[in-house]
Amino acid sequence: MSEGLLQTPFPERAGAALKDTFLQEALTIATTKFIDLRKESFAGFPAGEALRDRARAIKEATLQHLDVHLERLADNVERLGGTVHWAATGEEAREIVLRLARDRGVRMAVKSKSMATEEIDLNEALEHAGITPVETDLGEYIIQLAHEKPSHIIAPAIHKTKGQVAELFSRELGGRFEADPEVLTAVARRVLREKFLQADLGITGANFAVADTGTVVLVTNEGNGRMVTSLPRIHVALMGIEKVIPSMSDLVVFLAILARSATGQKLSSYTTLVRGPRRAGELEGPEEFHLILLDNGRARQIASTLREALYCLRCGACLNVCPVYRQIGGHAYGYTYPGPIGILLTAMLKGNESVRELAHASSLCGACKDVCPVRIDIPRMLVELREHLDREKIASWTERMVFRVFRRLLLSPAAFRFSARAGRWLQRPFVRAGRLRGLPLVFGNWTRTRDLPPVAARTFREQWKELR
Amino acid sequence: MAARAEFLERIRREVAKTPGLFGASPAPRPAAPAAAAEAIRRELAERWPEALERFRQEFERVAGVFHRAPDLDAVPEVIGSIARERGVRSLVTWDPAVLGFDAAPRLAALGCSVVAARAGAEDEASRLRHRADAAGAQLGVTGADFVLAETGTLILLSGTGRPRSTSLLPDVHVAVFGRDRLLESLEQVGVMLEDLHVDPDRTMSGAMITFITGPSRTADIELTLTRGVHGPKEVHAVFVEVP
Repeated sequence: MSEGLLQTPFPERAGAALKDTFLQEALTIATTKFIDLRKESFAGFPAGEALRDRARAIKEATLQHLDVHLERLADNVERLGGTVHWAATGEEAREIVLRLARDRGVRMAVKSKSMATEEIDLNEALEHAGITPVETDLGEYIIQLAHEKPSHIIAPAIHKTKGQVAELFSRELGGRFEADPEVLTAVARRVLREKFLQADLGITGANFAVADTGTVVLVTNEGNGRMVTSLPRIHVALMGIEKVIPSMSDLVVFLAILARSATGQKLSSYTTLVRGPRRAGELEGPEEFHLILLDNGRARQIASTLREALYCLRCGACLNVCPVYRQIGGHAYGYTYPGPIGILLTAMLKGNESVRELAHASSLCGACKDVCPVRIDIPRMLVELREHLDREKIASWTERMVFRVFRRLLLSPAAFRFSARAGRWLQRPFVRAGRLRGLPLVFGNWTRTRDLPPVAARTFREQWKELR
Repeated sequence: MAARAEFLERIRREVAKTPGLFGASPAPRPAAPAAAAEAIRRELAERWPEALERFRQEFERVAGVFHRAPDLDAVPEVIGSIARERGVRSLVTWDPAVLGFDAAPRLAALGCSVVAARAGAEDEASRLRHRADAAGAQLGVTGADFVLAETGTLILLSGTGRPRSTSLLPDVHVAVFGRDRLLESLEQVGVMLEDLHVDPDRTMSGAMITFITGPSRTADIELTLTRGVHGPKEVHAVFVEVP
C-alpha cells in the first residue's frame, strides 16, 4: 500500500469518500447487485446452509492440523516435480520471486488476480528489479494502468466509470476508445493476448491447495488464470498457508458455495486445478512450477484472537452487506484487504497498531457474519480486537479513560443510580428533538457523527420499583 | 530445508497451543474411490436422460449452446455448421484418436484449415508450431471427461493429445461428449476426482483439470456483463446420442 495514503487519518479518508458522489453511486449499485445475486443464488439452493456448516468445519479441522496438511501438500508438489518455497514474511516471498525471475532472465510476468501478491506489494518489487508485471484480470489491469489499488476484493475497479476507463485506455494504450464496456473489454483482450503469448513467467495466487494431491486451485471468470498457468514457461503460485485443504472431497464443498457467495454464480466460468509442471506427453504448460507458502503473520493467529479470520475464502460477500463499506468503499480502509474481514486481516498482517481507528469502522450489526460462507464471527473478533487495543494502550488515552469510568459506573448499582440522575440533569442543554446532539469537550467526538438516545426520563429500575 | 523445518516448527508450536478445541472433521471421503465411482456410473446409466436435460438447461443458462448429433460420424457436420455460420476459417482440435472422430476431411471440404494435436510430437519445434496454430485458430474442438448437470459445467483433463489451449485461445470452443460422461452433482465430481487421484500417473497424462461453465466473462467495468474477455466468446456442447 502506498504509505502516502495512510498519512491521512481514517476519518479524513472516509470523509473524502463520502463526498465523492460518483463513488457513492457506484458503491450503491455494485453492492446492491452483489447482495441480490447472492441472495437469489442461495434461495434456489436448499443444500447451501448445510454446505456452509460443512465448509466451516473443514476449515477448522484443517487449522487443527495445519502443520500436517502443509507438509503433505509440500511433499506432493515436490513429488510432481514442483518446487516449494517457505516465506515467513512478505519480504521473503518477494525475494523468492525476484530471485527466480532474475536467475531465469525473465523480463515480463503476467499475473492473474491475487490478493496475496497485493498483500506483499509484489508489483512494485518486480518493477524495481526491471521486470514488467502485467495484471491480466480486467479490473486489476485497469487499476494497474491508473496506478491505483483494488477497492473491492473481487471487483477491483468498481470505483471507476466506463468514461474514466475509456480515457485511461486512450491515454495509456494510444487510440481513441468509446466509453462502452464491450469495446473496452475487446481492447484489453487484444493487448493482453499478446502479453500472455510473450511472457516467460506466470504468477497466480491460489483459492485452495489440496494437500492430498498437491493441486493448486484457481477460480476465475475471465480465463486469464488459465492463460497464466498454460502459456508461460514458468508458473509461480503464491498462497497464504491457510488456503490448504485436505482432499478433493473438501474442494467440491467449497466450490459449491464460493461463487454463489461472491457473484451468485453456481460455479465461476473457470475452475483450474493445477498439479505441478506439465507432464511428459503435454504440448503445453509450464516446464517449471513453484509454490510459495506465505506466513506473514498468519501462524501467530492460530492460537490467538483472529484464528477464525484464517477461514476466509476472500469472496467479498461481507464487504457488500457492510453498512460502513457501502458508504466509504475500499480505498478509505487504506490497506490491501477492505471491509469487515479486511480490518481483521489488516490487524493480522500489519499488527494491531495499524487498526487503531479501523477497529471502530463497524457498527457490529452482524450482517457480515450472516453472509459469510464459512460463518466467520467477524463482530465478535472486532470487539475482542477493540479490547486488545485498549489493553495494549494503542487506543487513545481519553478513549481508554472514558470506558474505564463507564465500567466503574456499570459495576456499582449506587454509582449507576447516581449517574442516571446526574445524566438526566446534565444532558438538558443538548437534547433536541428527542436526541442527544453536539456534546461538549471530548464527548463531542462521539456526537459529531451520530446522535445518541438521551438518558430516559425514568430508568428501568425506577419503573420496576413502581410496578411492584 | 532449514527454512521448511523452521517454518513448520513455528506452525506446530502454535497448533500445540490450542488444545481442547471442539473436534471438527473434514468432508467424508469415499473409502474405496474406484467402487464409489463405479456405483455412480451404474446409477447414471439409468438416470442419464434426466441429467442430460438438466445439463442442457443449466448450460444454456450460462450462455452455452447445446447441440445433438446422432452418432460420432455426424459430429463433423455439426461442427461444420457452427464454423460456417460464424465464418470460421481455421480450427484446432484434440487428437482424433482421443476424440473418436476426425473432423478434418469434412471441414477441409468446407474450405477450413484444421490442425490436430498429435500424441507423440512434443518436441520444442512442435510446441512452438502448435502454439502459433492455436493462437491463430478461430475454433477449438475438444472432448469432455465429465459433464456436470447441476451447474452446466464441462470438465476437461489436459494430457497427451489434449492441449490446454484448444478450449482457451480460439474465439469459439466446441466440446463433444457422450452419455457416459454425465454426472449430476458436485459431490459426484468429488468422488471422480478422488478416483482419478488414486493412481494419477495411470489415469491422467496431463497436469491440469479445467472446469468450464460457459464462456469467458467479466463484469469489471461498471458491472456490465461482457463475454469473451480472455477466453472463448462462445461455448458449444455437442451431445452424441450413440457413442
